[in-house]
Amino acid sequence: MTVPGALALSALFLMTAPTLGAQLISIKTVPIAQGDQFNVFPSLNQGMGGVAIGLPDTLLDPFRNPAKGGRLSIARFFGSPMVYGVSNDAGGGRTLPVAAIAPLGSWFGGLSLAVQEVDPSRPPGSVLMGPPPPGVVVRGPLPIVVTPPAPESHGNAYVFALVGKTLPKQQVSLAASFSWARLNAMDGVDLLYPGSQSINQFGHEVDVRAGLLKEWAGDRALDAVVLHNHVGMSQDVSYLDLFWDPGTQSVQQRGRVDHELDRTDTWGLALQYARPLTASGWRIGWLATGNLMSHPKIPNYELMNIPRDPGHSHAYQVGVGVARVSGPATFGLDAVYEPIWSDTWAAAAAPTATGAGDTIPVGGKTIENRFHFSNFQFRMGIGRDIVLGGRPRGATWQLGLAAHTVHYWLVQSDFVQSAVRPQEEWWVEWTPTWGLTLRFPELELRYNGRVTKGTGRPSTQSTPTFLADAAGVRSGDLLVAPSGPITLQGVSVVTHQISLSLPLH
Amino acid sequence: MPRTIIAIYFSLLALAAACERTETPTEPTLDAQLRQDIGRWGVIPIGPMPTQPEALVDLGQALMFDKILSGNRDVACATCHHPSTHEGDGLSLSIGTGGTGLGPSRTLGPGRQFVRRNAPSLLNDGLGLFYLFWDGRVARFLSSFNGGPPVPGDVPNLLSAQAMLPVLDRREMRGEPGDRDVFGAPNELAQIADSDSAAVWQALMRRLLAIPEYVAKFNRAFPNTPTSALRFQQAAEALAAFQVAALTKTNSPFDRYLTHDDAALTTQQKRGAQLFFGTALCSSCHNGPLLGGNGFANAGVPQLGPGSPATPPLDRGRADLPDQQFYQFAFRVAPLRNVELTAPYMHDGAFSTLDAVVRHYNDVPLTLTTYDASQLDPALRSTYHGDAATTDSVIRTLDFRLQTPLHLSDAELADLVAFLKSLTDPSARDLSALVPAAVPSGLPVPQ
Repeated sequence: MTVPGALALSALFLMTAPTLGAQLISIKTVPIAQGDQFNVFPSLNQGMGGVAIGLPDTLLDPFRNPAKGGRLSIARFFGSPMVYGVSNDAGGGRTLPVAAIAPLGSWFGGLSLAVQEVDPSRPPGSVLMGPPPPGVVVRGPLPIVVTPPAPESHGNAYVFALVGKTLPKQQVSLAASFSWARLNAMDGVDLLYPGSQSINQFGHEVDVRAGLLKEWAGDRALDAVVLHNHVGMSQDVSYLDLFWDPGTQSVQQRGRVDHELDRTDTWGLALQYARPLTASGWRIGWLATGNLMSHPKIPNYELMNIPRDPGHSHAYQVGVGVARVSGPATFGLDAVYEPIWSDTWAAAAAPTATGAGDTIPVGGKTIENRFHFSNFQFRMGIGRDIVLGGRPRGATWQLGLAAHTVHYWLVQSDFVQSAVRPQEEWWVEWTPTWGLTLRFPELELRYNGRVTKGTGRPSTQSTPTFLADAAGVRSGDLLVAPSGPITLQGVSVVTHQISLSLPLH
Repeated sequence: MPRTIIAIYFSLLALAAACERTETPTEPTLDAQLRQDIGRWGVIPIGPMPTQPEALVDLGQALMFDKILSGNRDVACATCHHPSTHEGDGLSLSIGTGGTGLGPSRTLGPGRQFVRRNAPSLLNDGLGLFYLFWDGRVARFLSSFNGGPPVPGDVPNLLSAQAMLPVLDRREMRGEPGDRDVFGAPNELAQIADSDSAAVWQALMRRLLAIPEYVAKFNRAFPNTPTSALRFQQAAEALAAFQVAALTKTNSPFDRYLTHDDAALTTQQKRGAQLFFGTALCSSCHNGPLLGGNGFANAGVPQLGPGSPATPPLDRGRADLPDQQFYQFAFRVAPLRNVELTAPYMHDGAFSTLDAVVRHYNDVPLTLTTYDASQLDPALRSTYHGDAATTDSVIRTLDFRLQTPLHLSDAELADLVAFLKSLTDPSARDLSALVPAAVPSGLPVPQ
């Protein structure tokens, strides 16, 4: 589902939408695995790597560009329960969307509702902090703090509505869509704050789109969509800090709550054109997308510890796709180049003296991060229809592969220390996909699966502590603070989606 | 077409799998790395100190600066622990009763000897150290580790127990038999046998309670204790309360850094901290919430001074306590907050600057064998024991962590010093407001 995919932007620089939609471009600076939380609507091409440029996807397209809802000739009802899981007990979720899209004369409209449960990403019972420093006497019960049993799954809700009109004479469809999501959980966010006890997330996302579809004879089509997306999330991150209490002369704990805000506004324009290439079944298409993003507030994720507060980005996609339908076989391939520029900075909360002797005033930049991304997306897939007992019964199998290379350069300027730090990162995420569709006279039953690899989930390596000294402190009295570098543990995100599509009479 | 496409598909699949790269993509920033390093050593923020009763602190302040607690009425606690020298005395080895002057310019009296060890600063002594005194003779584990004079069992805390002891030491405060006080009167404290600590404390209380202003102060501080039941334990408790209330200084840049203020330390200080908690191995001793104070080590410090009574002229440190022979030449690992202000350093003040200290730790065997005694006060130079036998004895039992040179560069040593200076609470730089104008005995206040 492209619409909630926009939410990925709310976790700017760390989270990204795995959706293959082109209207909203997500930015990611760490290869953290993101569950398929926002990929919930049915798709014809999902099993083929999600190819989307040369090959139309009549199930998913109306959620990307509402004007494409005009292509549906009959009313349809969709239900597509989806489950995903992250390996190593690192999270998962379940979504139940239902949707109906119906033409009514020259008008058409659609409504979709979805409810979702997202599981916490931390394995239950993980030891958060253990025994500590030599010479620290712990009074009373040994305060080994164990992460509380994984908090219950949190629920999200999504509403999507579209309305449009077809102008048959001009072969034009115009439509607008609105979506709203109430969010209490974003997958994996709890892992971005290592050492935290719990995270209370709440917020919303609003996405408004206006779309146009112009078709010409000969199966040529141009579509355009203009969108505005707003994400506002709050994260109350609770920590339990150890401190030395001089009163009791022992180690005690006290709570701390960091209030993090996550705000992003995006304006976007996307154009896509497709046409037959030859009479032999080949099609070709291209897309061009631009996003302007402002980030009034970016959370300071403990994980990456890049100081930043506000910022802005501009991101683009240019891509080309080819597809061929030849008898029962279908083939599609997309290649997309994705340049992104982003500038974020940390603002001084108080007048700050610099190493050069100057003073940075309140609100001035103390650290600036200039990112330049040069990403590529590649998608390809094949499908083949199989006749089962004669038409209209039949089946289709699909196989696909999507790859996403992320490559960025960061130049971080520290205006306090008058220092500049360059950094270059790259990685490849790849997603084999597969699908099977069974067609019956009154319904279509579709299964899509995929597994995304090349990403990880953070974990902390504990480091063995040293022996207690001769202070007479028994090892059982010791606590060890969380230690060791934070590393990413390679995981796989496996998603299964079953969708049911049936005509409404 | 399908066969070709399928072949391409699996080729690409293999290529994508080969490109997989899931190691941590970003090198942790200096702060992220440093916080991990710090967490490894149990260094955690210090919480607020409980408020002390005002009357108790007032009494403690008067006692701290009153020379009436010394046998000859010429030395107060504050003589060797003075605010002007950040609760130490600025001397390598302290000068007790009989001396004249204050701070680094203090000189020995005729026929007197240096106290065998450096006067440690009292800053932050109330935070909950495990051991007090350089040899740790006063410890939290009184029953098993106390090797010093017996302290009444009802002292409320370690700091009070500590405050009971300097008044017993002849060289520090009590005086020698035959001494006369500053008024020419016999020193009655000095005439009491060394084994009768209780008699010394009782005599001190007789002195104090003979002064009406002290009686009033004691009565305000201990309203439920009849005057006749007051003992020196109460005086010690007041001294401890004053130290806790006035000498707790834990708002250093490093303390602010511990409470998640990344900007509290400069980059150089952070680099120094990385060394401190990493390759320089400092934190293998100076760890825990107080950055030390919880153990003992033979740090290869040059031997100087009169030595301990048991093994003159050497000072074997903790090994001179009963049943502590293992700790040859080992002294308490000092807690490091405000260390910038408390020179000279080590148990005998052998090093006058932090730079000299970190250079010593950079190659302990070398600096021990090449120690230049000219850096000492002229009166002390002749007490330096740099003979081969002594240095060999020290090196033989050197802490294992110090046996191998660190080979830190000059720049790294400078970073370490910068970090150590980040442990200074700005409010500890000027403690002059703690000096009272007068004390109840009417004796001159050391200032």
